[in-house]
Amino acid sequence: MAKRSHEDQETDDRPAKRLRPSDPDRLSHLSDELLIRTLSYLSVSDLVLCQRLSHRLNSLAGDLQLWKALFYDRFVRPRASRIPGVRDQEQSPKSLYYSSKISKWLDDDHLVRRGSVTNWKRQYKLRHNWSRGSANVSETQLAEHPSQPPLLVRLHEDIVVTADPVAGLRAWVLKGIDRLIATTPFYRGKDDRSAGPTSLSIDGAQSRKDRVNISVGYDDGSFAIYTLQRNERRFACRYVHAPSRNGAIHAIAYASPYLLTMTGAPLLSLYRFGHEPEEIMSNLESSSGRRNNMGSIFTKEPKILVKNSHGDAQEDLGGSGVNKGEVDDDAMMRPPTLISSLRSQTAYPPISLAIRASSTSIVASIAYAMPTWTSGWSVGLQEIRITPDGTIIDSRVASAATRGALSPPSNPQLDRSVHNYSTTTLDQRVVTGVRMALGSKPTSLSYNHPYLLSAHPDNTLTLYMVTSNAEELSVGVGSRLWGHTSSVSGAQVGDRGKAVSVSARGNELRVWELEGGMSSSTSRKRAAAGEASVRVRPKRATSETKIENTSRADIGAVAGPRFMREQAFDDSTVTHGWVAFDEEKVVLLREKMLGTQALVVYDFE
Amino acid sequence: MAEMQKIKLMSSDSAEITVHRDVAERSVLIKNMMEDIGEQAMTEAIPIPNVNEAVLNKVIEWCVHHKGDPPATNDDDADSRKKTTDIEEWDQKFMQVDQEMLFEIILAANYLDIKALLDVGCKTVANMIKGKSPEEIRKTFNIQNDFTPEEEDQIRRENEWAEDR
Repeated sequence: MAKRSHEDQETDDRPAKRLRPSDPDRLSHLSDELLIRTLSYLSVSDLVLCQRLSHRLNSLAGDLQLWKALFYDRFVRPRASRIPGVRDQEQSPKSLYYSSKISKWLDDDHLVRRGSVTNWKRQYKLRHNWSRGSANVSETQLAEHPSQPPLLVRLHEDIVVTADPVAGLRAWVLKGIDRLIATTPFYRGKDDRSAGPTSLSIDGAQSRKDRVNISVGYDDGSFAIYTLQRNERRFACRYVHAPSRNGAIHAIAYASPYLLTMTGAPLLSLYRFGHEPEEIMSNLESSSGRRNNMGSIFTKEPKILVKNSHGDAQEDLGGSGVNKGEVDDDAMMRPPTLISSLRSQTAYPPISLAIRASSTSIVASIAYAMPTWTSGWSVGLQEIRITPDGTIIDSRVASAATRGALSPPSNPQLDRSVHNYSTTTLDQRVVTGVRMALGSKPTSLSYNHPYLLSAHPDNTLTLYMVTSNAEELSVGVGSRLWGHTSSVSGAQVGDRGKAVSVSARGNELRVWELEGGMSSSTSRKRAAAGEASVRVRPKRATSETKIENTSRADIGAVAGPRFMREQAFDDSTVTHGWVAFDEEKVVLLREKMLGTQALVVYDFE
Repeated sequence: MAEMQKIKLMSSDSAEITVHRDVAERSVLIKNMMEDIGEQAMTEAIPIPNVNEAVLNKVIEWCVHHKGDPPATNDDDADSRKKTTDIEEWDQKFMQVDQEMLFEIILAANYLDIKALLDVGCKTVANMIKGKSPEEIRKTFNIQNDFTPEEEDQIRRENEWAEDR
């Protein structure tokens, strides 16, 4: 071996500052255990340097337990101070070091997947890059021109699904060269016009990795279910629901077997697939008495109950893209049962639909913007809770508490009367009474229980904490979040309160750590100091990265030239509010100068 | 009474060293042996086959200084140890020895199961690594670089994200 002779020769003529050349390498002679113990006292930056020393040190300094400890030290224990309750209950500081118990508490279980070894160094690197806002940026062009209705995008793991009237439904992978993996046109209506997709949702409750269930809502009030067969690189159309006169489906949420739609009427409908219709209907009958008592701004709309008219609809619509005679997974789904349908009178866009399952119930929710008397725009939330067998438990409504006194919708006692106000009166009130609006109308809403985040054109976001339990549904006082320097067009909040927001112009992307809300003094201090968020920047060459990491003053010093470069690079882009993220990346949709629609991926790996 | 008890230790190079029992019992190994063999230990020298006289004397010096310390906790979970490389002043002076002795102390502390001394030793080595370039670390310990330049460069690039903070 060439290496061996190299080594032999070097033993003798290697210069040594503190040692005689003949001195043995005592460090490397330590056992793995002792070396790892020694390395455990090193910082991340020293540890990665040690990986460059030799093969043995490379593998020992990459030891998963070392990185796990570093991960918990830096990313888990500090969180405890931000979450009210953890600190209160765990008095001893020692218990905040890693233990499986605290891991459960802090909900990091997803990192420790059963049967697979967690690469803690990779996890550390991901979190490190997130916290620094350092990402590799890549772009994929989706369409040359903007479409009407606009192109829709959703993210699911490493797959992005897009829907537009021109290209139809498409699936993309985010890595590699061959990115477009499947495509299917939308069906054509009677007038031979291709259906316009107005809403898109990926099944939040899927079990199989190679299949992705997708629901699409159209401008004619119909909706369809597709399944992406990942390995076969194609879509299968599983179900098409008949068009409805309630108008376009503006929003859709899907967590099989439940589907929630919001039409322009506006009508909120909750469906369930795969149950015998008779059974559900009798459940509906039995719960109708309770439903009348709901203090809801959505009122029952019995006339529009569309009964399983899909059979005919299927023929009418031509069924293009339908695959017949496939295995069960591809089979056409039986028509869904309408569990509940409620008419809304005060839900203004933007709205956010969500379906989540708790141990005893399924909760379908709609978050919406609402104007108030004195404090401008606020947010409202309605939940429909049903039992797993489809029986409605109740429907509840709440709106954000405000600090001001006279704001009717914020007073739960008055919620019931809200649906009596006509749209026009509300609009007038907005014009006349809310000049001094504290809250501007949100540009986007994102609800991921218990976090409800709204983005505003006045450069801010508002975070509301939602309480939902058997006794009550309430939305807390909103906390303003400052950090953006221009209008915020979109925001998304994920699990554990991580959120990403994007500005309408240019490319200001910010990452927020909102875990636990703003209830702890640590969070409030961070927010006040403008430290609740980090701006994401494309990674640069090493020499420049070095400049960035010193102090705040230094960052200010280099901000000038970087700002100019960014402007030159991306001045003409417009972001239309859609942004999504997961553990590894942020994905957003940008419109370039000539209307080109591009998917921009910020990869933190 | 127990404090007055003295026992004898025999180093690998057959030197007999007499120590107070409570000093020797800073070593979990010796403590366990004493419990196992009982009275016999009072008369016969306990063999410490892995540690020579010079190192054993050094270790005992440390144990004498630290005999009043609270006993080490059983919590040896690597994650629960406080990750600071601060070393108290006396220990710093104590560790001002050549590398051969430093590593011998670490090996002896490990063998004799004296957790606090092992930590001081490991921290001392960690402090010798801190803030140095890879080449400086190699020179400090005489570590053979068994990477090809390409391999080393690849690791450098993979770890670039973490290099400075």
